[in-house]
Parts: sequence; structure tokens; C-alpha cells
Amino acid sequence: MLLNELKIGQKARILKLNIQDKETRRHLLDMGLTVGTEVEIYKKAPMGDPVDIRLRDYELCISKANLSQIEVEVIKK
Amino acid sequence: MKVALVGNQNSGKTTLFNYLTGMNAKIGNWPGVTIEKKSGTIRGTKHEIVDLPGIYSLSPYSIEEEISRSFIFDEKPDVIINIVDSTAIERSLYLTTQLMELDTKVIVALNMSDILENRGISIDEKKLEKQLGVKVFKISALKETGISELVTEIDKKSNSEHIKIFDENLENGIAKIKNDLNDKHSRFIAVKLLEKDNRFSKLNNSKTEEIINEISKFYDTDLEEVIATERYAFIEKVKKEAVKEKNMPESITDKLDKVFLNKWLALPIFVVVMFLVYYLSVGVVGSATVDWVADSMDAFGEWVGGALENIGTSEWLTSLVVDGIIAGVGAVLGFVPQLIILFLCISLLETTGYMSRIAMLLDKLFRKLGLSGKSLIPFIVGSGCSVPGIMGTRIIENSDEREMTSMLVPFIPCSAKLPIIALFAGYFFEEHSGLVSASLYFFAILVIIFAAFVLSRVKFKNTSNSYISELPLYKMPSVKYVAKDVWEKVIAFIKRAGSIILICSIVIWFLLSFSFSMEYGVDIEESMLASIGKTVSWVFYPVLGQNNWGATVSAIQGLVAKEQVVSSMAVIAGLAEDVEEGSEIFAQGTPFAGFTAAAAYAFMVFNLFSAPCFGAIGALRRELGSTKKMLKVVCLQTFFAWVLATIVYQIGSLFENGVLNIANTLIILVIIAVVAFIIIRGIKNKKKGCTTCPYCNNCK
Repeated sequence: MLLNELKIGQKARILKLNIQDKETRRHLLDMGLTVGTEVEIYKKAPMGDPVDIRLRDYELCISKANLSQIEVEVIKK
Repeated sequence: MKVALVGNQNSGKTTLFNYLTGMNAKIGNWPGVTIEKKSGTIRGTKHEIVDLPGIYSLSPYSIEEEISRSFIFDEKPDVIINIVDSTAIERSLYLTTQLMELDTKVIVALNMSDILENRGISIDEKKLEKQLGVKVFKISALKETGISELVTEIDKKSNSEHIKIFDENLENGIAKIKNDLNDKHSRFIAVKLLEKDNRFSKLNNSKTEEIINEISKFYDTDLEEVIATERYAFIEKVKKEAVKEKNMPESITDKLDKVFLNKWLALPIFVVVMFLVYYLSVGVVGSATVDWVADSMDAFGEWVGGALENIGTSEWLTSLVVDGIIAGVGAVLGFVPQLIILFLCISLLETTGYMSRIAMLLDKLFRKLGLSGKSLIPFIVGSGCSVPGIMGTRIIENSDEREMTSMLVPFIPCSAKLPIIALFAGYFFEEHSGLVSASLYFFAILVIIFAAFVLSRVKFKNTSNSYISELPLYKMPSVKYVAKDVWEKVIAFIKRAGSIILICSIVIWFLLSFSFSMEYGVDIEESMLASIGKTVSWVFYPVLGQNNWGATVSAIQGLVAKEQVVSSMAVIAGLAEDVEEGSEIFAQGTPFAGFTAAAAYAFMVFNLFSAPCFGAIGALRRELGSTKKMLKVVCLQTFFAWVLATIVYQIGSLFENGVLNIANTLIILVIIAVVAFIIIRGIKNKKKGCTTCPYCNNCK
């Protein structure tokens, strides 16, 4: 599953980053989006993009285009 | 000692810097407020301290982050104070793990420790110290606690041992590569070589290449990702030891975001907020103070005039002081009350955290225009002054988006344009002045949307769809900081009135009082300024519906400072008649008597969108990186402003006269056709993709 397909409140674990652009990939790694990290879809912009996700005790605002490059598995409650 | 403040964006570096130095450098609540390094001296010591733009890692993504990195490597600080946002310790320590690899002493300051308890977090700094191998202090830059211990630590010696944080394979590789390096920061560079960081590729050789290949065999992804993952794994381990967290109920930020980021309410709230900023400053405060200020200035001018006559000064000198200096400077000073409200509103927007929400709110819309939501931050800062607005574009990573934003920032009415708006709106639109001022603001937004739409399709096509930015928590603004901030900006405005505007007023008075044959006291229609103005006033004929030399020369002076337009008009009107009050600039007998409401709105539009003042032009040159580019932009802006103003006047006078002027209508139709052609061509190219487009070679 890809991270942009999740709904608000859903939690997921990162499996793989499919990002071609080296800078963007590095940026996301630095912001803590490493394999195995738990993220939660937290808030959405009124027009649906970008999306605010919660990870590592902080909130990261990130575009849907970026989210669609991240493979995840949903964590069941 | 040279001390550098290094930490994540929005972690409170500048707040600490201000406390340590006693300065009042700009702070705010969005990632990327500090865009240039600032230096000062720590009070009570001889240490030089440098505040750097925030970074999340030592691999920078934007210009302002590169400033921080190069400072650490090129200017070699003796001590690095690493500010850690202790409410987001996991992400913050990531940078710490990189700083620890340098051969520079690092002290960790756990900032925002005052709100830890509220958030259900407790941190054991002794355990943290042991795990990280560097000194750790709990501080609160805002509440000013724990800072003296931190300062005393600067002088103390540190142990230079580096803690090993990676797994065995990586650590072995690092040790091998490090052995061949003689440079300072060898452990850091060894890691960078493993990551294949381009900035260090010069130090690469076949032997390191071999080591890297060997290590890579152990992992199924590249070493850059492995290293980032290992850093976070180390941090998770550290956090488990030293940090305890409790589950907390919904925070205030989450509650506020339910309103401010609400699907239906967000946009209306944004519109109301922006409307209020202008309505309050020009409409409410403006109409309450403008007459009073004008009357006092008038009385003051008369009093000075009388006093000068009594002590027997010549007529020309009295005129210079009263009609030149007092009228010119006074016309500008009259707008200080409005500016105080404007600066206050902007300062509140900047410090509460609402700014990041606006960026998020409008990102999708801006993306369609080839801009980023982050472009909004320079626009709002630019409504105070274009110069920091233009410089603030550095937070935008993509270069096309950045250049486009810096070109568009001057279109936002800045505080110096406020006097122009207030003057015209107050006289021609009386009780609707607040509404008209706000309308200009929204007009500016429409123009920016239009200009961005065209530019992104004609010139700046290489925009990205990436948006990565931390969303900060809402904060109560510090009353002390906001008061100081507003005060400093108002003082700067008053100082400008007392220097540049004063000198300009003297020059304008001189050019108005003398003819080319150096005869004093001529009718202003015969003066030098009038003669100069009349040679070029035809340029503004389509904008004003008349040849008006007074408006022409005043608009040109906007280059010096936008408020000079108002000052110049006051001096001209004052010498034409005995006029000092703002509302009498348009009285019978002055060159401005012929202004209609349509001409007034058109003139405001021209001044709003034409070339900005020299200060902003200089900032544009710096951010665009070349004089040629800057000149192109400024000329384009001015031409665009002229076209817009012409359209506004022609349409406006249509309403005023109720008659259709055939010639005017034709001109407007031609202009609209040209503009439409440009847009349609742009859209077609976009739809076709690049395959048949003759304009660039991007696809090849």
C-alpha cells in the first residue's frame, strides 16, 4: 500500500522509499522517514493536499506526490 | 571564542540569541525565519556568538541551510551550541548525531524544557549526556532559565572521543577510511564518503571506493539510506534510556487546527484575517487619526512659519522650511498610526504559527500556478517590507519557484505603499476607504495569481510537486518581542522620513521654486520640476486621462521610497496653493485637482505594481543573482503596472462617464487580446507536453 491511500487516523509502518530524486529522498530520510518508522495520517489541508503526518513526536507537512512514493503496511488497531 | 548556534528550524535559536546578546533579531513561528547568519557578543563575556539558519541535517536542501553548513566548515567555530527542541527530541537528535562526528566541541541545549511537563515528557539529561558523550543542559530560551550554566560550559575543556553509533560493518569502514584522511573532522568526512556526498567527492580515491563497495555488500539498499536508518536506530535506543512519555489528551494545537484547517472554514477565515489586517489599519485607525494628524501638522507648519517670520528670516527660507520640509516629511509621518497597526498585525501572524497553516492551506492552489505554498510566507512578510520578503524566498528549495516568488513579492502592497493607498482611498472613497484598501490587497493577490500563471507557463516550467515542511505548534506570541518588533519598524520608518524623505523634500522644493533661469518664486507651472515632468507626462495620459506632470514626477520618486510619492505630492500641492493637509492635496489650483476616482485608483495600481524602491531592487538583484535579470524583472513589472493601470482607468472612467469611448475600447481590446494570446499559447504548450514545443529544449 502507498502512504497517500491512507485515511486520517490510520497508522502505518514504512516499508520502502521509491523516490527517484536524490535530494528529496535524502530530505525525507533526514526528516525521519526511514524503513520501519511508524507514521500516522494526522491532518489534511482543506483542499486535501498536502497532508500532515505524525512521526517521531512531531508533525510533518508533506505533499501527496511525495506520499505516493512511500510504500507502507497498515498497522491494525 | 567563536560560538555557533546550530539546530533545527523553529527550535528557538534566535530567541536564545536575542537573550544572550540583548538584541532583537527577527523571530517567528515557521520553519526558516532566520535566513542569514547574525553575529553578536554574549553579554558579560567576550564570546562572539553566531545565530545560523535552522537545519535538520548537514546535507542542506535550500540556500539558507547551505549558509549554516558552510559556516561550520569554513569559519571554524570553537564551540557549537546545538539547540534541541526537546518536545521533538527524536528528530532533533538526528542533527546532533552528525555534529558529534565533527572535531569541534558540541554542547547540547535542550530547549523548551518549560513545556515538557505539559506534554507529558520527562528527560533525564544525565543519562542523555552519557549516551551522547557531550554535555547536555535543560534550558528555556523563552522563560530564560538554565542559560547561565550553558554559558559557563563554553570555556571548559571537552573530551574529544567520538562515540560509535553505527553497526560493526560501518564502523570498521569508517575507521579504515579515516586512517587515510589528514583533514579536520575526519570521522564526519569518512561518513560523508560512505554516503557518496558530492561535496566531498574530491577526497574520494580508488582505495576508499574499494572499502565502500565491500561494505555495500552487507546491505540491500544504498549506504546513504543505511546510515540514516542507523542514526535513527541509535536515537531510538538513546530515547528509550533517557526519555519517558505519557499519553496526553488532545493538545490545544490540534483543537485550533480543527478550526483553522477545517475543510469549509479555513479559506473564509484566511480571507477575513487578511481583510482585517488592511481594514483595521487603513479603515478604522486611518479615519480616526488622519484628520487629527493633518490638522496638527497644519498648525505646526503655521506656527513655525509665524515664528520664522517674527525672527526675520527671508521669505524663501520660510517657504523651504514650511512648504518643503514640514509639508514633505509631515505628509509621510501622518501615516505612522496606520503603520503601527499594520506592523502589529504582521508580527502576530508571524509569531503565532498561523503562517505555516496558510502555506499548507494554499499549497494546492499555488502549485497550479507554479508556486509553492511556501511562497505565501515571503508574500506576507512582504506586506511589511519587500526587502525581507524577497530574502525570505530562500526557504523555497526549487529554484524556478524561488525566482518567480521573489519577482512577485513586490506586488504585495508594502507598508511604504500604505500612505499612497491611504491618501487616495481616504480622499476619493471617504467612508469606504477601508474597503477600497482591502480591495487593493485582493487585487494584488489576483494580479499575482495571474502573473504566476503566465510566468509558470511561459518561462518557469521546471517546478516541483514536492512539499516537505514541519508543521509547528501554535504559540502565544511574546508581548515583549512583538512590542519591540513594532517599535523598531516604526522607528525605522520615522528615521527614513527624517533622512531620505527630508532630503528629497528639499530637492523637490528647490526644483519647484525656481525656473531654469534661476528665478525664485515662479508659478510652479513654470518651475524646473514642471518642465521636466511635462516632457514625460504623456506616458501617464492613458492612466490618468490627462497630462499631469505632478503625478508623473511623484510616481518616479517612488523609486527612492514608495512613501516619497505622497511626500512629493504634498510639497507640490503646498507650493501651488497654501496647502499642507493631506486632504487638500487635491484642492482646486493644485496640479492634482483634475484627479477622478478612476484616475486615483489607476494611479494607486501603477504605484503598487511598478518597479519597487531601490532597496527592494537591490534585494532582487541579490536573490536573482545578476543585474541583467534584475533589470529585466523591474522593466517588466513597470510595463505590466502601466498596462494594468491603463485598463483600470479606462474601465473606471467608462463607469464614471457612462459613455463608451471607441478609441479606448479598441486599445483595451488589443491589450486583452495580446495577453490572452500569451496565456493560451502557454496552456497549449503545457497540454502538448514538450514534444512539439519550439520554446525550450527541456525534453531532449
